[in-house]
Amino acid sequence: MHPEATTNPAGRVAPRPELAVEAVGLVKRYGDVVALDGLDLSVRRGGFFGLLGPNGAGKSTTVSILATLTTPSAGHARLLGHDVVTERAAVRRDVGLVFQETTLDRELTAREQLDLHARLYHLDERPRRVREALAGVGLERDADRPVRGFSGGMKRRLELARGLLHKPRVLFLDEPTLGLDVAARAAVWERLRALHASGEVTLFLTTHSMEEADALCEEIAIVDHGRLVARGAPSALKAALGGDVVRIALARPDGAADALARVPGVARVEREPGDTPERLLITVAEGPRRLAQLLEVARPFEVLEVELHRPSLEDVFLHHTGHAFEPRPAEAAA
Amino acid sequence: MSFFGDLATIVRREWLRYRRDRAYWVGQLVFPLVVVGFIGFGLNGVVRLPGDGTNYLGHLASGILALLVGSGGVGGGMTLIQDRESGFLRALLVAPVSRTAIVLGKILSRTGASVALVLVLVAILAGFTPLRLPHPGAALLAIAAVTAAFVALGIALASRLRSLESFRLLAGLVTVPLYLLSGIFYPVATLPAPSRWLARLNPLTYGVDLLRYGLLDVHEFAVGASAAFLLVLTLAALVIAVVAFDRGSRG
Repeated sequence: MHPEATTNPAGRVAPRPELAVEAVGLVKRYGDVVALDGLDLSVRRGGFFGLLGPNGAGKSTTVSILATLTTPSAGHARLLGHDVVTERAAVRRDVGLVFQETTLDRELTAREQLDLHARLYHLDERPRRVREALAGVGLERDADRPVRGFSGGMKRRLELARGLLHKPRVLFLDEPTLGLDVAARAAVWERLRALHASGEVTLFLTTHSMEEADALCEEIAIVDHGRLVARGAPSALKAALGGDVVRIALARPDGAADALARVPGVARVEREPGDTPERLLITVAEGPRRLAQLLEVARPFEVLEVELHRPSLEDVFLHHTGHAFEPRPAEAAA
Repeated sequence: MSFFGDLATIVRREWLRYRRDRAYWVGQLVFPLVVVGFIGFGLNGVVRLPGDGTNYLGHLASGILALLVGSGGVGGGMTLIQDRESGFLRALLVAPVSRTAIVLGKILSRTGASVALVLVLVAILAGFTPLRLPHPGAALLAIAAVTAAFVALGIALASRLRSLESFRLLAGLVTVPLYLLSGIFYPVATLPAPSRWLARLNPLTYGVDLLRYGLLDVHEFAVGASAAFLLVLTLAALVIAVVAFDRGSRG
């Protein structure tokens, strides 16, 4: 996937200083189950990167390896130039993690939790840092309550504050908004955007939410069955599909396809398989701009319904994998 | 330097948890008092111990304290499973802290709690049993070594097991025979031959005996040998716990 990634004779990745994360040929097997099947990744410093895929695609395993919690069965990875297997201690200092499931000590208060974390990372000026971190996620008033009584959104915000407390240079976010309500999710998104804008930290997000990847990430990689299937900016990935799709149902469709195909910008016109009324799928660049013209041409054929569909990352996923984007229970459990 | 700092941080965290865990303190304080109060007094009139002339109440009270220390230790190891279930362990593992500091921190904090508990209980029990503190050094060593060894055993188990249920089951399977064959309820010398030999192979026997020496000034085995044996065994248990935890925490 990365012809530019050079390997020396020992098969090790030569460090590339402009990258925060680089992985080559990561494989992880759990018995007979292959969670990762030769994954290559590179994330530039300061970037906001999204690893997107259905449940069980290998996203959490990837994060776990990059954060030194799991040893890969094969392949190599570096984080800010440090090998994630042989230089664990150096990697751990630079990494912050917000896990998919909560990793808080339920019996400690929010303040104790952050203070403990500050001690584990040998930070100075602990009380000030803890105070600021709590304020940063709007938890000052709940600082001295045990985490046990926190809502899901509060816990996630506290996790975020903890993940950032030691000013990590790479922050991993494993499904950071999973299970949150709309408002709590918006709050987390806002915080992440602000972080990215600050330019101080490389953000590495995993998500199975297309919407989330599209809204936040400047670059995404789509994984499926432990393999990379596509990567690029969300807009570029969508654009690569050839444009928008106008779906039109006609009462008298004879000759309509030829007429519509002559409209400027139309790449192709296909008949949708199925019954009456006949529906045509028109792939067209800049769909919203062409829609009026398309309707004008279609008018004599008696338009019954019209629908403009802009390609989503779902379509990108379908295009690259040949199957729809939905969790497969058997693998999600693995 | 940072190792001891990390150790202190882990101990601090465990103590913050203990401080709020009323069930732990109440349970640990009430259980021995109930056993000694309801069973000890009853049996005291019926049971005559051979040899040393101490009454059964003192024998049982000191034995129950050893049992308390041992089961408290296993409970300390079990907190590792709780940390895994709450997810906290992952946050701990990704932090730049050595695995050894995590293991020793858990052992040290439970040992501290154990010593505090036993001292409080001895003070209470001294009011109505022959328990005193004639040899504080021996008592402290026995409490610390038995707790540490049992926490270590618990951590070694918890590093392999994933669920609280299987931990409880297996820990029970391992520790109950140890308790029964350690002289907690009756002197080892009173047991018939095969059980007596098994009791002599049981490391806990020497912990119970040393604690009894510390609290009652009676003992069945050579005090110095018991102490040395316990120390070596506890150190070995610590090493096993550290290695097991390190292996278990690698994915």
